[in-house]
Amino acid sequence: MSILETRNVTKRFGGLSAVDRVTVEIPEGSIYSIIGPNGAGKTTLFNCITGFYPADQGDILFLDRSLIGLTPDRITQRGISRTYQNIRLFPAMTALENILVGAHPRLKSNLVDAFLHTPRQRAEEKEALEKAQELLNFVGLKGKGDLLARNLPYGEQRRLEMARAMANQPKIILLDEPTAGMNPNESRSMMRFIQNLRDEMGITILLIEHDMKVVMGISEFIYVLDFGQLIAKGTPEEIQKNPQVIESYLGRGAA
Amino acid sequence: MNDQLKENARSGLIFGVVIIFLLLFGLTTTLSDIVGDLFNLPTQTRTGNSAGLMVVLALIALWSGSRAASADRSNWRTGLVGSAVSGFVLGGIVSGFILLVGSLDAADVEMRNYFAQLDRQSVQFLLYGKSLWVGVLITLGIFVIFSLLGALLSYFLETRQAGVYLQTQYLKLKERIMDVSIVARLRDHPQAKWIGYGVLLVVVLVMPQMLGKYWNYAMGTVGIYVLMGLGLNVVVGLAGLLDLGYVAFFAIGAYTAGLLTSPAPITIQWNFWPVLVISILLAAFTGILLGLPVLRMRGDYLAIVTLGFGEIIRVLIRSDMMAPYLGGPQGVRDIAGPSIFGFSLATEKGYMYMIILAILLTILLTTYLQNSRVGRAWMAMREDETVAQAMGINTLAYKLMAFATGAAFAGLGGALFAARNQYTGPADHTLMVSINVLCLIIVGGMGSIPGVIVGAFVLKGLPEILRELDQYRLLVFGALLVIMMIIRPEGIWPAPRRKMELHEKILDGPPPQTSVAGNEG
Repeated sequence: MSILETRNVTKRFGGLSAVDRVTVEIPEGSIYSIIGPNGAGKTTLFNCITGFYPADQGDILFLDRSLIGLTPDRITQRGISRTYQNIRLFPAMTALENILVGAHPRLKSNLVDAFLHTPRQRAEEKEALEKAQELLNFVGLKGKGDLLARNLPYGEQRRLEMARAMANQPKIILLDEPTAGMNPNESRSMMRFIQNLRDEMGITILLIEHDMKVVMGISEFIYVLDFGQLIAKGTPEEIQKNPQVIESYLGRGAA
Repeated sequence: MNDQLKENARSGLIFGVVIIFLLLFGLTTTLSDIVGDLFNLPTQTRTGNSAGLMVVLALIALWSGSRAASADRSNWRTGLVGSAVSGFVLGGIVSGFILLVGSLDAADVEMRNYFAQLDRQSVQFLLYGKSLWVGVLITLGIFVIFSLLGALLSYFLETRQAGVYLQTQYLKLKERIMDVSIVARLRDHPQAKWIGYGVLLVVVLVMPQMLGKYWNYAMGTVGIYVLMGLGLNVVVGLAGLLDLGYVAFFAIGAYTAGLLTSPAPITIQWNFWPVLVISILLAAFTGILLGLPVLRMRGDYLAIVTLGFGEIIRVLIRSDMMAPYLGGPQGVRDIAGPSIFGFSLATEKGYMYMIILAILLTILLTTYLQNSRVGRAWMAMREDETVAQAMGINTLAYKLMAFATGAAFAGLGGALFAARNQYTGPADHTLMVSINVLCLIIVGGMGSIPGVIVGAFVLKGLPEILRELDQYRLLVFGALLVIMMIIRPEGIWPAPRRKMELHEKILDGPPPQTSVAGNEG
């Protein structure tokens, strides 16, 4: 059963179709990738799914319910999390606070609870803090919870962003270039981490990635975008042999 | 080397220009009188205490000289040359100014027409009651000598054994005091925090009894500003929404309390307590009403719209159109005070206790808020609104909540203010109130609760204590803000987070061991 589905999604900026009638289908519990040259519309597609941009045409279904017309906060509340190509943490908040903000949709206490400091609110805070600490440990940032996010080294910021995305217990996480700017060693450990995420937590993964080693290494299925259009789809082996893909990556005549 | 001397000359120039400004404003006269009173110095002229002026100028020279010298500590001679240069430039400028003023005065030019402070007596004061050249030479002498002394002093404190010895002795003494068994035991005792709070509470409870009528009134005003500062801190410090029309909610609180308890212009005379609740709720409700249309704006636009809103409220309550309902320029009189079980609280002491209670309550509530899901959502919005929304935060709803919360505290402050004065009018609700509250947050430390209290005391309390300086309040405000932004942008008593932000070293390696260790286990 597919957890996330786009049907002919189109997003235009002026005359340019950044995403042009793209249809993808992500089954539950899978690791799927979207690849394509720079400017192919991969991040735009993510932005349409998460509600940052309203799609001009087409439909987006999550667990068979349409996401069209929902604001980003509502979409996140449905169970979709994401990370960003250029890390976007809350820089002046601590690592732990970043994760707690991520847990926002899962928590219930409101303004009145906060004012009155009700037992319910205190219990929830305590539980949330424990969960956040667990996540922090899970991504290998044990003991760094009180550091400001901006003071963490690059690789740790990436992992913190992942922990934040996991904090609302999403059903699917969209990862936008999780290994960007990493050396081969860090990339490999990130690959293992992503695999763990699916295997241990059962979270479906959709990722955008440039690093072909990563893509071919962990993807079960790959969609290829070019100039906003879906030009190919298939298993890593199929994609590697696809002449159209090779052409779009290496230029006409290379195939 | 030459660059260093140029730098010194420039620093002397800046100091000199600033001193001339202060002389023209007459601020030095006031300062000199205070210093003169402090040290019981004899007065020679009628306008001001000349000996006091000498001390003031000498202190400035000392500061400028030590500054010039501390630029280069490698060699005491270069430091001395540097401070001599800056001292000569500084002394030259100021004594030149005095020479100019003195000779113009001798030529019977009426400078008062241009500068109110430069009358005959004031010129005599600037010359220390001496003749022209003697006065000028004294000024030059003070600057040069004390600049050099300043240089030697800074050199001594920084490098000489005796200076280093003094500093280490000071540190040792501090350490020893902290290690004395009682202090250490108190510090490490788990209940120490509560004992501290207890002592604070006792002080706070006893204070209104000790203070006289006037001081209770003055401190009450400070307290109301603390209340508003705490409220605005939620909006600006936590949620990052720059609200320049905060006075509007203060006005709504004050007028609600006024109109519903006074006999005119509307004859509703309800009891104070329900009216206080209504004031708070109405202010919060107005916060939401204002928020609905404007909160889609970000940053500067929001600031301008809220500024306009504050002015609209002020113009409305002043207007003749609303005069039959709001009292127009005359305002609302005979506002009723509170009482408990027939025991009137409408005395200076009574209001002081109410204000203190309100502040304690507000501190408790805002502390709870900061460490809650709501507070974190606000901070996230302040950091990155787009991502905050992507975290599942309904940003519009949370902005409204921040606005309403801040407005409620202002409403509380306004109601207490109106009841205490038994009057409120348009003059109580000018733009200056918004600016004052914002300033006290900035000076105290954005997002810090103790900072707000310190800020309110500095900006509202100090002018009450230094009544003489009252007319220079704005000048001092401006200077204080500029200086704060340069030397201590995080405020006097910053929230620990802000301090980390502004004085951090970006680390690209492992984080400092202390924080790691402190978090483990």
